Amino acid sequence: MEISILQAVLFGLFACLASMPGMGGTVLGNYTLGRPLVAGLVVGIIMGDIQTGIIVGAAIQVVYIALVTPGGTVSADVRAISYIGIPLSIVAIKGLGLDPSSAAAAQMATALGAAVGTLGTVLFYGTATINLVWQHMGWKAVEKGDFKKLYLVDMGLPWISHLLCSFIPTVIITKMGSDMVDVIKTALPMDGIAMKTLFTVGSLLPAVGVAILLKQVVVKATDLLTFFFGFTLAACMGVNLVGAAIIGGFFGVINYKIKMLAIHKAAVAGANTVEDEEEDI
Amino acid sequence: MAVKKLSKGALSKSFRNWFYGHLTCFSQEHMQTFGYLCSMLPLVEELYDTKEEQKEAMQTYTAFFNTEPQLGTLVVGITAGLEEAKANGEDIDGEMINGIRAGLMGPVAGIGDSLVVGTLIPILLGIALGLSTGGSPVGAIFYIIVWNLIITLGMRFLYYKGYELGGKAVELIVGEQANAIRESVIMLGTVVIGAVAASWISVTTSFQMLNAEGGTIINLQNTLDGIYPKLLSAGAVIFCWWLMSKKKISPTIVMLLLVVIAFVGVLLGFFNPGLSY
Repeated sequence: MEISILQAVLFGLFACLASMPGMGGTVLGNYTLGRPLVAGLVVGIIMGDIQTGIIVGAAIQVVYIALVTPGGTVSADVRAISYIGIPLSIVAIKGLGLDPSSAAAAQMATALGAAVGTLGTVLFYGTATINLVWQHMGWKAVEKGDFKKLYLVDMGLPWISHLLCSFIPTVIITKMGSDMVDVIKTALPMDGIAMKTLFTVGSLLPAVGVAILLKQVVVKATDLLTFFFGFTLAACMGVNLVGAAIIGGFFGVINYKIKMLAIHKAAVAGANTVEDEEEDI
Repeated sequence: MAVKKLSKGALSKSFRNWFYGHLTCFSQEHMQTFGYLCSMLPLVEELYDTKEEQKEAMQTYTAFFNTEPQLGTLVVGITAGLEEAKANGEDIDGEMINGIRAGLMGPVAGIGDSLVVGTLIPILLGIALGLSTGGSPVGAIFYIIVWNLIITLGMRFLYYKGYELGGKAVELIVGEQANAIRESVIMLGTVVIGAVAASWISVTTSFQMLNAEGGTIINLQNTLDGIYPKLLSAGAVIFCWWLMSKKKISPTIVMLLLVVIAFVGVLLGFFNPGLSY
């Protein structure tokens, strides 16, 4: 399977929009187009195979389900994962003759996505560094009172950074990458140690994504029990994700009511004279 | 002197500039500073007539700014209200505005990261993943619509609340009721994440003990499934979580460590994907 130059150019464009300091803004760019699941749909449409695109995107999404970038420290950048990793994974899955809906295809995609993701970190720092030049121009404009120039600095000139650090790398790698699959196929047999390791890594990586999220939400040890509650729902009882969200929501509401009761009580005890007209219990 | 009041047009332009441009010109040195400048510019231009006054007002916002940008909309709204009050001659100066801004950056980033990026997005993605089974585009479409709707309306709400309430708006995100809501949403998120882990992580072992005739004595995977389904997957998550939160190891190093574990596991015959071309 080949990636045409037009397809590569489109991937390049989406990479510019979806990056962390991306030209699509964070809401529509990074947090929508940049999510691997959404990118799976976009890439699937561009490559004419939505089903495989979604399967690959969903598999990679689990690894990057919590892409928190506290204070701008980035462990992986979505532009490379989504718009280099997903196209290459699709090509690889087709080239190696894997069944798109198999676990092996998902493991291939996660391993490839994570490998490309490390490249994204380099691209991220590249973009941020080039932006320093535009910011320097911005400071001069503020000094002179030439305020209109701020819009150019904030929303226009960073396109140049992305041309260099998102567009060109994406076009080149996706175009070249499709030829790599044949090389891999002859050099690395599927029952060899390298490929076995690759697929095993692919099955382990989603654990990191979920663990990053746990680190965010688990404050005390008992919070882990909430996690295992959800895990048990799906693993032992076969509840699907929508069902789990509803059950989780139900417990969330109960928790909210309990908390509000406690606050309410404290408020009443604290100030007997103050009338409380919010709720009658 | 007539009381200066910001026009609807200026406010919505300011909101739009923040909504789109808060991170477009990002650098490690000044992360969201330029987004902030662009968002305050329409307001400053309307409130002050002379270039000198405008320059002085803009100078306030040249200070470093970075927070969680979605929830951070509240801070932008608050400063819009304060800047208006300042232009009307109230006892507020640039230094005070910057003090409030700097004071809010940290708490808003902490709450925003755990609530928006750490909980809301994973819940939506978790549901979307559930809808994507078999390669269906419904999940992705669901996420695109619901996320953009919630966050656009949410950011608008925060901006205008911030503008209206000024400093009092802080209660919206750090008050007791806000805490109760946050804790409950995180609880929902944690349940969903547990279900995502069980549905989408599949760590299995191929380890078997065979007797002399080649019959199976112990099939480790079956034994483990008998104890608790998907025990190895759960174990992998807890192991990674322990490394990152208790041992303070970075995610990248954890990933590299997993490569080593996979390699050793394959050599020992613990892992075997069992594939062929």
